[in-house]
Amino acid sequence: MVTEETTLLDADLAATLPIEEVPAEPRIYEIGYHIIPTVKEEDIEKTVGEVRKVIESSTGKAAFIAEGAPSLLKLAYPMSVRVGEKYTEYDRGYFGWIKFEAPASIVAILNDSLKANPSILRFVIWRTVREDTRAKIKAPTLREVKRVDTIKSTPRRAATEESAVPVSEEDLEKALKDITSE
Amino acid sequence: MSNNILTQNDIQYIDYKDTDLLKQFISPHGGLVSRKRSGLTAKQQRAVEAAVKVARFMGLLPYVQK
Repeated sequence: MVTEETTLLDADLAATLPIEEVPAEPRIYEIGYHIIPTVKEEDIEKTVGEVRKVIESSTGKAAFIAEGAPSLLKLAYPMSVRVGEKYTEYDRGYFGWIKFEAPASIVAILNDSLKANPSILRFVIWRTVREDTRAKIKAPTLREVKRVDTIKSTPRRAATEESAVPVSEEDLEKALKDITSE
Repeated sequence: MSNNILTQNDIQYIDYKDTDLLKQFISPHGGLVSRKRSGLTAKQQRAVEAAVKVARFMGLLPYVQK
């Protein structure tokens, strides 16, 4: 049935523009990863290189913003990883991070490649901003407590001794003789 | 005076790697501190919660401290 309303609606729908494809705008991502501690020190750079290659391959050009070199870190709790049928528990790992700019499609690719990498213990992909997000302040320390129970008598006594009139040697000897003669 | 650490120190972004900062917002057992005690705005509290949860996943902070 065609009423006045439906014809108006059709006209409205025709007037609206088709939904445009949202251009794949590059986004800022950061990945944090733990490399298993059994990897030798000299092979760590190779593992990081593999990750970087995956990012580079999809972005076309190098769009790295910042990077943190992997360093051995004690984990807050042991993590277990299944390799085949065996579970291995790790209590430390080489933690590193890379901040880069890439289209959103990279997340799925990176996710798959990191999961398949046997030397990556755990990783996180985190959307962030271009600015440096590390806080500049140091953690506030416990405030100093004014101690009231300290003994102040020692310095006070020393002060009185200093202020005393210096005694000459003759007087001292006299006094000693007096004591010894008694 | 509020005890909002983030506003006092002019911190705009919360990073999950800043464990020293995040430790200000977890209790001795490792649980998240409520807004009442952290003194944060709702927006800041959400950012801190997300960061703490990622930091826990990555083994930088404990889930439970014994």
